[in-house]
Amino acid sequence: MTPLHNHINGNSIIIYLDRSIYSSNVILKCLYWYGDKFHTDFRSLDSTYYCVTLSVLAAETEQTDLEAYQLKFERDIIDYSLRDTVTKETANIRDLLIAKAFSNGEYDEEPAGEVSDPVGFDVHAINPYQN
Amino acid sequence: MIVSTLSRPNRKFKDTDYFSVKTETYFLMPFRFHRLNSQREVVVNEVGDHLVYPTGTVARIIGREIDKQLDSELYADLIAGMFISESPIPALIDVLATRYRTKKSFLDDFTNLHIFVITLRCEHTCHYCQVSRVTTDKDAFDMSKKHIDRGIDLMMESPNPFVTMEFQGGEALLAFDNIKYAVERTKRLAVSYNKKVTYVICTNLAVITMEILEYCKENGILLSTSLDGPGFIHNQNRRRPGNNSYELTVAGIEMANNVIEKDSISALMTATNLSLAHPIEIVEEYRARGFDSIFLRPISPYGFALSNERKNKYAMDDFLSFYKTALQHIIAYNLKGEFFREQYATIILKKILTPFPVGYVDLNSPAGAITNVILFNYDGNVYATDESRMLAESGDYTFRLGHLDSSSYEEIFYGERAMEIAEVMTNESLPGCSECAFQSYCGSDPVHNHATQGDIWGYRPTSTFCRKNMEIIRYLIELMDGSEEITKVFESWIR
Ligand code: SF4
Repeated sequence: MTPLHNHINGNSIIIYLDRSIYSSNVILKCLYWYGDKFHTDFRSLDSTYYCVTLSVLAAETEQTDLEAYQLKFERDIIDYSLRDTVTKETANIRDLLIAKAFSNGEYDEEPAGEVSDPVGFDVHAINPYQN
Repeated sequence: MIVSTLSRPNRKFKDTDYFSVKTETYFLMPFRFHRLNSQREVVVNEVGDHLVYPTGTVARIIGREIDKQLDSELYADLIAGMFISESPIPALIDVLATRYRTKKSFLDDFTNLHIFVITLRCEHTCHYCQVSRVTTDKDAFDMSKKHIDRGIDLMMESPNPFVTMEFQGGEALLAFDNIKYAVERTKRLAVSYNKKVTYVICTNLAVITMEILEYCKENGILLSTSLDGPGFIHNQNRRRPGNNSYELTVAGIEMANNVIEKDSISALMTATNLSLAHPIEIVEEYRARGFDSIFLRPISPYGFALSNERKNKYAMDDFLSFYKTALQHIIAYNLKGEFFREQYATIILKKILTPFPVGYVDLNSPAGAITNVILFNYDGNVYATDESRMLAESGDYTFRLGHLDSSSYEEIFYGERAMEIAEVMTNESLPGCSECAFQSYCGSDPVHNHATQGDIWGYRPTSTFCRKNMEIIRYLIELMDGSEEITKVFESWIR
């Protein structure tokens, strides 16, 4: 199959996105920011590609503007993909951070490291309740 | 027997190798990023620390391409700022959590600002004013003593030991007797409730007298006035019989400066279409009046203001160019050694450059409505914000939380309506904002969303709130990135 190329057709920008690279979540987050200037259409083309069509709302938009928007979309989709990576990889640590921030000690851990042990005895071995 | 300290598993000092991971890579910590311009991008962590790098750096960070040796400085900065970590849970996560809590500590004490619309009467007919009435009917448009008492009682119930009692109008000074009554009663109650109260009167100064100023001085009352710029702008915006609003305001400022402390009077400007062509003249007017700051504000889009579209509805982009021109002019004075600051930039810079929260109600997440501000209207209705009552004047009661005659503190502040609004008060969970790099510098404003877009969730791509904040925040960071001198000026503003 010949590779599909993003292109401009009349008043629309047509973008093809490889489903193995971009999730629908990422595409939707990116498309959200185009709704002020374009009708946005997003559908599955086949098992390999998604197709996004951005059709301008203002009829007087110039061809050069459309080219600029195509370029912007191509950049933005990568940015949103990167954001998605950070969001997914850091979801747990973010939850932990916020839980700790608003807790009253429930999520506190043993002091990390051994900074409170200047003379070098093992604080973990000391049990204050030992007879 | 000599025991080698190296063999003691719990010795305090470890070899340097101990502190570096043996694995090839690092772990990402929560952060967001934004392209500042074609060459630079900014990364911001969960507590609002930011770093600016050449475009492409973020992709390298996320792609695990930052090499500890080859990119040692960048690597160290990212580790120090907790943008990345060498362990899945960084050792200093509790420090980060404490900083997060500090950033949100404006929530700890709950509502501070209690606005009393002491009268709706006014002698001005400003074309953008949403609410005022030119009338002498005190019964219909002044707050009754019963409602003043109940408002004060609710204010005393606030968990916050510091409260601000702000008198608004109409022209608040037309009901000065009621202000006096309210202040005297509050003074008595504040002692038994152990509250520190700040009093503010918002006034156009047209009817100010020596007697009023003396009372303000005696009671440490602050005056907040409006000055839109030189006479030809101010008088056009703020109509009154005789077309002399500017002259009265300026005379009032001078009179006030002679009686009360210089810091006790401040002025706000509202930019209209006419103002947008005169950024320099407006800044100069403030300098000429002896102020060392100015708050550059676009007109609010609420209530009656919408009905005068031709005059009021200018594109936010026009405001932004006005804002930037004025800001550059102000910065130039600072670079020459004169201290003069722009207050909106100062609020944002405090959020960018300090670990502390800023209690500015329009730029908080959770939003300042209810958590930080409440409004008691002249007729006893209670609203979430000042803007909410302006909506109500045009028949939209979406943000009415209760009534002074019938609602309890719990019903107003924690009632069903308050809970519905609370759902959309955090920008961390709003579409568009949730992955925005400027989230911790920005806020959420459900009232603005509702007023301008008919939906409390809002739609960021067409939101003027978003457009304004995203561009001002981007611009401030870009200015700091481009000039150490400007960074120093900005630092002097937040001290
Ligand atoms: S309103 Fe706009 S600038 Fe502010 S956090 Fe949301 S997306 Fe970012």
